[in-house]
Amino acid sequence: MSVHDFWTPFALEPFLNALIVGLSIASIWLVAALGLTIIYGTMGVINMAHGEFIMLGAYSTYVLQSYLGFPFLLCLPAAFFIVAGFGWVIEKVLIRHLYQRPLDTLLATWGVSLVLIQGVRLVFGGEPQYVGVPTWLDSAMQIGFINLAWLRVFIIVVSGLMVLLTWWILFRTVTGVRIRAVMQNKEMAASFGINANQVYSITFAYGAGVAGVAGALFGAFKSLFPDMGSGYIVEAFLVVVVGGGQLIGSVFSAGLMGEMGSVFSYFTNDTFARFVLFTLIVVFLRFRPQGLISEAMTRR
Amino acid sequence: MSITRRSVLKGGAAVTATAAAGFPHIFVKNLNQAWGAPAWVKEGEPIKVGVLFSQTGNLAVVENDSTNVVLYAIEEINKNGGVMGTPIEPVVVDAKSDIKVYSEKISELILRDRVVSVFGGYTSASRRAVMPIVFARDHLFYYPTCYEGRECMQNVICTGPLANQHSYDLIPFMVENFGPKVYLIGSNYIWPKESNKNAKVWLERVGGEVVGEDYVPLGGSEFTPIFNKVRQQEPDFIFSTVVGDSDIALHKQFKQEGFNVDTMPIAALTTGEIEIRAMGAEFGAGHFLSAPYFQTLDNPTNQKFVENYLGSKYGTGGVTHYNMEETYLSVYAWKYGLEKAIEQAGWDGVTPRLIRDVSGGIRIEDDISPEGLIWIDPDNFNAWLKPKIGQCQSDGQFKIVKAADEHVAPDPFSIYPERGVCKADGLHTEDGKVLKNVL
Amino acid sequence: MESQNIYHNKTAQWLSYLVVFVGLAFLPTFIDPFTLNQFSRYAVLAMLAVSVSLVWGFGGILSLGQGIAFGLAAYGMGMTMQMQFQDPESNPIPSFMLTNELSELPGLWVPFWNTEVGLLLALAVPTVFFVIFGALMFQARVAGAFVAIMTLAMLAAWYSMAYDMQPFTAGFNGISPPLPFDWLGVSFDPYSPITYWVALGLLAFVVLASKLVLQSKFGLIIQAIRDDAERVRFVGYNVAFYQVVIFAMSGFIAAIAGITWVMLTQYVSPVLLEVQFSIAMVIWAAVGGRLSLMGAMIGAFLVNGMQSYVGDAFQSTWLLIIGGLFILVVRFLPKGIAGLIETGLGYVPIGRRRSDSMSSNPARAAE
Repeated sequence: MSVHDFWTPFALEPFLNALIVGLSIASIWLVAALGLTIIYGTMGVINMAHGEFIMLGAYSTYVLQSYLGFPFLLCLPAAFFIVAGFGWVIEKVLIRHLYQRPLDTLLATWGVSLVLIQGVRLVFGGEPQYVGVPTWLDSAMQIGFINLAWLRVFIIVVSGLMVLLTWWILFRTVTGVRIRAVMQNKEMAASFGINANQVYSITFAYGAGVAGVAGALFGAFKSLFPDMGSGYIVEAFLVVVVGGGQLIGSVFSAGLMGEMGSVFSYFTNDTFARFVLFTLIVVFLRFRPQGLISEAMTRR
Repeated sequence: MSITRRSVLKGGAAVTATAAAGFPHIFVKNLNQAWGAPAWVKEGEPIKVGVLFSQTGNLAVVENDSTNVVLYAIEEINKNGGVMGTPIEPVVVDAKSDIKVYSEKISELILRDRVVSVFGGYTSASRRAVMPIVFARDHLFYYPTCYEGRECMQNVICTGPLANQHSYDLIPFMVENFGPKVYLIGSNYIWPKESNKNAKVWLERVGGEVVGEDYVPLGGSEFTPIFNKVRQQEPDFIFSTVVGDSDIALHKQFKQEGFNVDTMPIAALTTGEIEIRAMGAEFGAGHFLSAPYFQTLDNPTNQKFVENYLGSKYGTGGVTHYNMEETYLSVYAWKYGLEKAIEQAGWDGVTPRLIRDVSGGIRIEDDISPEGLIWIDPDNFNAWLKPKIGQCQSDGQFKIVKAADEHVAPDPFSIYPERGVCKADGLHTEDGKVLKNVL
Repeated sequence: MESQNIYHNKTAQWLSYLVVFVGLAFLPTFIDPFTLNQFSRYAVLAMLAVSVSLVWGFGGILSLGQGIAFGLAAYGMGMTMQMQFQDPESNPIPSFMLTNELSELPGLWVPFWNTEVGLLLALAVPTVFFVIFGALMFQARVAGAFVAIMTLAMLAAWYSMAYDMQPFTAGFNGISPPLPFDWLGVSFDPYSPITYWVALGLLAFVVLASKLVLQSKFGLIIQAIRDDAERVRFVGYNVAFYQVVIFAMSGFIAAIAGITWVMLTQYVSPVLLEVQFSIAMVIWAAVGGRLSLMGAMIGAFLVNGMQSYVGDAFQSTWLLIIGGLFILVVRFLPKGIAGLIETGLGYVPIGRRRSDSMSSNPARAAE
């Protein structure tokens, strides 16, 4: 194998396009990891069923669209509420009892993910399903040499909006004040009359709902099948961990990882890009286990 | 017909039954001969065959159809008098889409159930995982779908197209109709890479040119970086060996990225009727597929097959497709092989290996085979067949745009002539040696 | 410390190990080759569960990357067995390489001509990797869930490497050496009792050695670190060192399991490095009881046995059952089946005071 086969030679325009593709990939990683960031950052819960929340979001879109005839855009908020409902129940029944044992929540949620995958498989069958999108999302935007599918533009916009919404809730509403208070010190917050359990329920449900929206978006460019979520879990965790569990940190780390992934796979191949990326992350965490943005750096 | 399913009870029974044989037998390497073991088949006693596909997990999407069509074929054969009057009894196991389970279940079928042959597998990985015991017991495994070739095994019969047959017609056809420049996209494993090597050989013959080659991880669904390169290279068509759900993502994103199917279609080896159904016909329409079988093949045998199969309790999937049809043929190839073996050695003399040895040259005529006549090569035990090219229509079915004029020979080492020639007894190398079970 | 539970009695513990292993050793007298092979496989999986119990139950380090050691060792063994099949004169290169643009044996493979060197590498490479990887993490005081995520990421990296390096690993198809492992004049047919005894012997070695280590001073410090790393550090111990050692030990055990696995299946592929498989190991240990080596072992036998036998009967609901079971265990039985037994035995009166404090709360013992 010659060097030339392995390395794509550099050219400016495609390279710039690769950067834009990186942005698009980053937005997907961000959407996938946003729910996890909220749940992990606030509650310290490692939710291994996160991928399955994404899957549930995709399947709710499928059901709403195929059986009830919902338009795609309406499916996004609907998926949010449906999956948030699931999350709320799971928190009440299971997660709530394991707050003292963080490693056990990791394991228990893994059990939840198995159950959800098989449950969906029993109900909808194992064969892939698909979600239709409006025709205006089925073409590409072309400005000069820049090419990007409208669907990807749409995902970038939605992910941006969701980050803004989450930021607004966290830092500009009373609920947000409560969440941050519980985040910093649960006992202290409780002594000020904040119902910590309720805050946890809401946070978990919200994080799950955001994952549901991610699923609704992903269904548009790939197929739906019961274990589609397991492919996201490792990447999503890396985004969160590299980002330090902070909202802004996740935005940065998703951006960085998306761009790096895209540029690596432009020059070499996709699989090798993954290997390099994962290894870099492990090394990065060695020197900065608190992630890109540590708690101390953000406003409390 | 009774379908044997594994259960705790049965396992228990087997333990007690074999316990009687006692301790020392385990030291004897070849159990079957050494202990005057019972004959593999007996006249009038149901003939056991193993059916080893995944019924659960992600491979089940395809392999469920494989199980179903094997059961359907067996039922059909039994209805018509079985094998020389003796019925066939399938032993169905579930490999759970786990390679580790394939290797466990194959030994269960061979050692415990003493099936005379096994039908199984859809991925090369599963085929290779089951091989050690098949070799060690000189057993017989039917691998009923396409694969890369370049193996020369004495215990396997394959009824799907090899890499050299698969794109034989497709590449010249695409170059002629769309132009010489091709971009190769595949899943990152061996079959796509081998298929691409073959494609390059055909390309060279017709003056085509590879402008790019990329592989995505299995299960990967992100094609924008690759399409970014495709846009830069402006190929005349894309040659795809992307499998599974990645294939669906490829076709969806192809359209969403704004590519035009009329000027740069995807020519695939994998995008069949089930894949199209899973992505939605609007994403598949206009693209091409090369396969020996399509549901829309216009001949009486196929019409009967489609009608009967979809009308039976096995036809729940709603479509027939190439992998399913190849699996169907493998059951008939086995039946004819067994009959020939019985004629030659009597019921008592039949062994799995004998069935394989007499199977060379077996023909499945067009009154049975929906894709038309095929026969088993007497040297490498793959099938001679006619690949066909179909173009997907807006209803999700394919229109046949070209069929090979004559049968194409299976040649597992077509692009590695220096490796030698695969004969019935092994790989004959250039320096005169014979290597057995090369994989 | 007034507990008189026989569960905590050292002599009783060693006796129970003796009974179990001697009992298992007689298995070949009354079961058929297939079931024997199945039990050998369970024995290997039990080693993995023990390695998880060691590092997670006793070391407090939740490693989701045990598959790395298992997989690397499996590849080493696969390569060794493949080279035993090749002949230096007439057939020096594995078939799959010739179709991957390699015309001579790559340097990576050359040492595996020699079976002893091959075996040594198969054990040493994963262990050394675990030492380096562990040092990287524990010196930076990475702990808890972060270790889980980092090991997971590393596993995913190895997985993609194993199938991408097709000329060296045969990619996704994997390596299937056609002949059984042959060493010291013995051919280890996967269906023979000898191979079973080898697997069982290695399991016994792994369990008993771990037991000894845990009862030593080193073991007590490890458990103290699990319960409160800060305090142990304050007392003056080099916490990272102890963590690296226990992590590497669990890697070594997983490597032994990897070698044995390939001897039993004659097949290696990247699926051994799949995330699901490594998490399954944690499930076995959790169901059996992570705080008990014997429990973890039993967990592996039980869950895998159920998967083989009950699994087919409940085909489509099997994953529901195993997922549900796992949730219930985590939620209500954090000590797994071993915890149940512990509680059960607590009601059995015995005459003498407990003289030691093995597993229920070893931190106290360390004080």
